[in-house]
Amino acid sequence: MGNRTFAYFLALSLFGEKGRHISTVLLSILIVFLLSSVLFISSSLHSVIENALREEPDLVVQRVEAGRLVNLPLKWEEEILSIRGVSKVTPRIWGRYFTGVKGKSFLVIAVDFLDENSHKTLEKLIGETELKTFLDGRHMIVGYAVMEWMKSHFYKEYYNFIGRDGEIKKMKISKVLPKEDNALFADTIIMGIESAREIFGISEDEATDLILDIPNDAERDFIADKISSLHYDIRTISKKESRAAYDRMFNFKGGFFLSLFCVVLLAFVLILYQRYSQVYSREKRQIGIFRALGWSMGDVLKLKFLETLSVVTGSYIIGVSIAYIYVYILGAPLLKNIFMGNGNLDMELILPPVLDFSALSSIFLLYALPFIAAVLIPVWRISVSDPKEAML
Amino acid sequence: MSYIIEIEDLQKHYDNSGERFHALRDIDMKVRRGECVILKGISGSGKTTLLGIMAGLDHPSSGKVVVDGEAIAKLPDRHLSRFRGKHIGMIFQHYNLIENFSVRENVMVPLVPMNLDFEEVERRVRESMEVANISHKASMSAGRLSGGEKQRTAIARALASDPEIILCDEPTANLDRANSERFVEILSKLHDMGKSIVIATHDPIFDHLPFEARVVHMEDGRVVEEGRES
Amino acid sequence: MNPILLDTQVQIYLLSEAILYLLMIPAFLISLKIIPKWDFGSFSQEQYALEREAYLVMTILIFAFVMKFLLLPYFVFAIDNLNTLVPGAMCAAGVISANSYGMPLLFVKLFLVFALILWMAVNHYDLEAKNYPWFKIKMWIFIAIFIVASVELWLDFSYFLDIDPTRPVSCCSALFGQLEGANPLPFGLDIEKLLILFYLSWSLIVFAHYTGQTLAKLLATLLFVYISYYAVVYFFGTYVYELPTHKCPFCMMQKEYHYAGYLIWATLFGGSFGTMAASICKIFLKVDTGKMESLSFAMLNLFTLTVSLYPLVYRLQNGVWL
Repeated sequence: MGNRTFAYFLALSLFGEKGRHISTVLLSILIVFLLSSVLFISSSLHSVIENALREEPDLVVQRVEAGRLVNLPLKWEEEILSIRGVSKVTPRIWGRYFTGVKGKSFLVIAVDFLDENSHKTLEKLIGETELKTFLDGRHMIVGYAVMEWMKSHFYKEYYNFIGRDGEIKKMKISKVLPKEDNALFADTIIMGIESAREIFGISEDEATDLILDIPNDAERDFIADKISSLHYDIRTISKKESRAAYDRMFNFKGGFFLSLFCVVLLAFVLILYQRYSQVYSREKRQIGIFRALGWSMGDVLKLKFLETLSVVTGSYIIGVSIAYIYVYILGAPLLKNIFMGNGNLDMELILPPVLDFSALSSIFLLYALPFIAAVLIPVWRISVSDPKEAML
Repeated sequence: MSYIIEIEDLQKHYDNSGERFHALRDIDMKVRRGECVILKGISGSGKTTLLGIMAGLDHPSSGKVVVDGEAIAKLPDRHLSRFRGKHIGMIFQHYNLIENFSVRENVMVPLVPMNLDFEEVERRVRESMEVANISHKASMSAGRLSGGEKQRTAIARALASDPEIILCDEPTANLDRANSERFVEILSKLHDMGKSIVIATHDPIFDHLPFEARVVHMEDGRVVEEGRES
Repeated sequence: MNPILLDTQVQIYLLSEAILYLLMIPAFLISLKIIPKWDFGSFSQEQYALEREAYLVMTILIFAFVMKFLLLPYFVFAIDNLNTLVPGAMCAAGVISANSYGMPLLFVKLFLVFALILWMAVNHYDLEAKNYPWFKIKMWIFIAIFIVASVELWLDFSYFLDIDPTRPVSCCSALFGQLEGANPLPFGLDIEKLLILFYLSWSLIVFAHYTGQTLAKLLATLLFVYISYYAVVYFFGTYVYELPTHKCPFCMMQKEYHYAGYLIWATLFGGSFGTMAASICKIFLKVDTGKMESLSFAMLNLFTLTVSLYPLVYRLQNGVWL
């Protein structure tokens, strides 16, 4: 079999009786759509993080006192630089600046821009902006979410920070980072290291942390160990560790969704089983006639199985396409919040289209396998219909 | 070998909660190639059951059934179905058409598992619809046909796979006189084509056929009398 | 909760395996019922019912077979992606060695694929014949498959539950790299002798294929799979990576190498398992296995051609061997 006559009959049983499959197809499309939307968002966010991590420092060195992050002395810079394999050490100042007691917060990041080899990421973000003018006065670059918040509070060209000493530090906004650029910088402010020191009240010989360049990635773990042994209160975070942390966070959200989804899936399977048993019991006589006219159990099995497979594949393609449009073209309204879950500033994330094998195969497995498993027994039951049925 | 159907010592019984019901007992029967056999008897005499066993639709409880050289009493489903599709054309009492299929599609059903070219399938469908005189209704759905048309569609379907054997179960039970006569006409056409035909019926119209036929009387699951008429 | 278990792919994989196992349970119970009662010569109603139930076992197994076949690369793909969560791992090699369940699990999976191919072959010939001559053999093979599948499911869960995301593992260069003095190759071979043996066993298969010596072909194929594994990891793989020190059976399945590993391993295992199953059927069932043999033979040749092309193309492009 598998010829045109068979294909003709397959089409006949698929489209012949309208409405026989329509409810299953609609339900399936809904399931696939839900599933693919979530997986698309998560793989898109994953790629955002991948991109961000690529520009992340190789190793971050921090000082921890009683489990609390504290500023570290700049003299550590020299000590670490003397370790072989470390090509560069850059001190960094950063912290969350709260706009009021119960206000929102911005992530302020600052490095020494006068240092020729300042941080790669920031360098890239600043881009064409004149570095000189930027550093001349009190300028800053803000993420778009920060900008929106400021606008709504009538700060259009500058913002008044209240420093640790209680004095107002006026900072001009010289650039807004575009949305598309990098989702992770939405609530970030970038400024010169001197301004940040004033705002956070950090003295000249201290920094929040140090970022290291280690060109040979095979040596990173080894160097991290070495640095840890320099002082008892040193903590190192490697690129891989921060990636794992991100992965965990998203896996946790994805995993949570999937657990919920399993309940939906179970209901889906039960509905399918019920529905197919019902549809096929109505067809019992027809299949009995087929059997009497020379169809073997295998032939019927094949017809019914291909029928199911067509429904599965059709719904899969339609569901995935709708999800693609919903997530990447419409920007996944509503659903995105589950993943962002950041109550701070209104972050609007642009999801870059990612259509990878991993998501597509996962969707197919998670949807098609239970689907087919659910109809397998009804399909068998109809296939072994007794040809005697036709004699009655 | 001149016999197309050979049945020896055939028994068929059903076991129902300890009680045994004998549907067929000690049947011995042979049908020659090209012969027409009329199985006669009242309802419940076992003609339909016997027909079903000849067609491989039902299994005997014991005995030997050889159809066209193949012992079909005990054959795995796959081979039995292939055999049935290829060698047996079946016309059922209630026509057994698929109501929402067109005439053409109904005739096509037995050809689907035969793995033929689509052109060959279409040719066979066309030809058998012509023999059964139903070509003009080819694309009408079977549910909308009249009784006689349904009957002729069923004949076309039985002929589609070009079988040597045509088995009919009460073919005229639901037909009026005129349509029954047309059925007999087609039947004689099939006889002329050299098909071996077995008809289970109690309709007296088959007492006077335009061709030679053998009558087998059945009663209570046994063959009681054999005769020849023309 | 263990972050490994929250990985989407791991969840989907475990769920799929569990569903397939759940489906196989009724098939198993039916088989247990059928085996003692099966008597094809019988005319009883019960026997006809058994024949219908045998079709259910068959339906479930064919579905499970196709799915297991798809799940194997998915499994490798999933553990490959886990390398970001397991410290020290660069590819699936490190992740699979994260605990002592990993390697046995992989072996059980390969064995299952072979057993399923064998079952499908016996089933095919059994259905071709007119009296189910190998029905009971087929059922016993399934019972064995079910037992192995139970072990597999247990290993699946043990493996993923036991991966400790804080415990560092070795990467593939440490697992497969040549240690001082220790030769990882079997029979004390060196690379040249390994390659000679590789092509020799392949020629043996070709010879046995054309002269129709089934037993010789079966044995040659067994040798060929064994040797091929080492030849791919320690020689051909280095040309896939274009790096003489990179020896790993898993990295070649990554995107950087155009997923070439999937083709290489699929043709090797598909071809050799197919050949072995066909040979076994031919020897024990005495059936004509022509079609299956040619298909498996073609796959083995595709494998040999693919792996041989890597060094040849490298040589042509760069003018030197690695």
